[in-house]
Amino acid sequence: MSIFNRLAKRAYTGAEVVVALLLGSMFVTFILQIIFRYVLSLPIGWTVEWVAIAWLWGILFGYAFVVRDRDIIRLDIVYAVMPEGVRRAMDVITGLTAAAILAWTLPKCWEYVDFMKIERTAYLRWPMNFIFMIYIPFAVAIIVRSLLSVWSALLGKTHAKIAPEGHDYD
Amino acid sequence: MTDPFILSLILIAVLAVMGLSVGIAMLCGSFVYLMLKGFDPSLAAETMMQGLFNGYTLLAVPLFILAADIMNIGSLADRLLQFSRSLVGRFRGGLGHVNVVSSLIFSGMSGSAVADAVGMGRIIINMMTKDGKYTPAYAAAITAATATVGPIIPPSIPMVLYALVSDQSVGYLFAAGIAPGLLMALVMGITNAYMARKRNFPTDEAVPLRELPKITWKALPALMLPVILLGGIYSGVMTPTEAAAVAALYALIISTVFYRSVSLRDFYGALLGSARSTAAVGILIAGALAFNYVITREQLPIKVNTMIQSFELSQVSFLIIVNLIFLGLGCILEAGALLLIVVPILIPTASALGIDLVHFGVVLVVNGMLGLITPPYGLLLFITANITRQPLTAVIRELIPFIIVLITALMVITFTPDFVLFLPRLLGYQG
Repeated sequence: MSIFNRLAKRAYTGAEVVVALLLGSMFVTFILQIIFRYVLSLPIGWTVEWVAIAWLWGILFGYAFVVRDRDIIRLDIVYAVMPEGVRRAMDVITGLTAAAILAWTLPKCWEYVDFMKIERTAYLRWPMNFIFMIYIPFAVAIIVRSLLSVWSALLGKTHAKIAPEGHDYD
Repeated sequence: MTDPFILSLILIAVLAVMGLSVGIAMLCGSFVYLMLKGFDPSLAAETMMQGLFNGYTLLAVPLFILAADIMNIGSLADRLLQFSRSLVGRFRGGLGHVNVVSSLIFSGMSGSAVADAVGMGRIIINMMTKDGKYTPAYAAAITAATATVGPIIPPSIPMVLYALVSDQSVGYLFAAGIAPGLLMALVMGITNAYMARKRNFPTDEAVPLRELPKITWKALPALMLPVILLGGIYSGVMTPTEAAAVAALYALIISTVFYRSVSLRDFYGALLGSARSTAAVGILIAGALAFNYVITREQLPIKVNTMIQSFELSQVSFLIIVNLIFLGLGCILEAGALLLIVVPILIPTASALGIDLVHFGVVLVVNGMLGLITPPYGLLLFITANITRQPLTAVIRELIPFIIVLITALMVITFTPDFVLFLPRLLGYQG
């Protein structure tokens, strides 16, 4: 394994730990909220805020860095029956389009995120631009991933097949 | 409808059909719409993040996923199967009935059909096909069919998604699912009984009745979960979102303390797997939030309403058309995507026609679940065919009778709102 691969693998494991912790913290916070409200009769406000932050970050960070190709919700019907050449062409088109749109809108989104520094959350008093900041690495990661899928389509690889077991929200 | 809107719709459709993530396709479409309109495109990112950040109800989704994942690593499914087996195994086609009953019980604890098929499904399929008692295709078919009850009986992830886009109460939606879920289990039980007679399926070894108390006692901690969940929600002690956290905690406690079957490593695995699923479905929700802003801006729901009003459709014909559309779309889309994309457009029309929106939600979720077992894109079908290593066509053939009876049940659910709504009304629903 090259150094680059090893580093990538480490980073991926690290990202996995982050999302697992985010979800774990949501879980624990909810339990605390229930205990404080009903058992101790001491309602606490920060719990609602923290779970909302963990949810937002869990989704955007998780989708950008942890969700695998086969976990993504996509329409598979047409794609799956196409000959490989067509699928590769489709990957190139979708990858370039998504990367272009997200890159084109990135500066404006950056402005919005930055503008949100004027607002703070109600209890924790955290500046909102910190919370919404996650959009930037999310968008950049999606752009990079889209371009990587274009690259691998050019090299002759197409999307992984969908793994239905992972879709346990349906 | 304006040209930018039509263009963005086409863009989303083309990107999605070509295999781009549906959520990202909707986000891209929203960006393009805003740019063509000359608005600030960051509005799409803003709507998406504000929607997620303020969507408190939605937080039930990751927690229900986590609860089901924890149940699936423990030996909870085993206990429930033993319990169901001792109840209905003695009849002809016994393991088929065990399948129906255990799915029904599991659905009271998990909010996902896929989690049901993956966890319980694998074990019951092994039980059914061992010694060649049932054909693998039949085992796969009945397991896929019974898993559809999962999100109808509360808790239910799809109903939380419907609540988000329709602004209805999760609690009442959950209550409204109970009678339809029981009906679905009943018609599948009857189908299995009929098949068992026709094809001479074996009875399972009868568990002596005197062992029933012991088996029930062993399964009791698991059987209590639906009681705690529903009791907690309807007594007002906890919100459905908190109930989801309690479900996960309870599953964790009984799996570790009573059944001693979950290690720390397993728990981490469940957290990671759930976080992954959460992000995958979360980006779909995020894309839908962004695109719903576009839809609202274009006043599409109102226009659809005006158009449908001009056809002077009755409630009944509207419901029939919606059912047909959903059954059709269900063949190619996942239930979650279907609910998030199509429902917002139909809500104003449904309420203008005087359709109760809780009833409407149940009809649509049942529809979405049927979509999970109808080819070509049926997640449950894929899962059970995979477990049994059967070709899809063989499983589909065995599924047809179940699909027929489930569609019949869907018709009953669609045209008798009182059947669906009497429980929520008992709990105080004014509708």
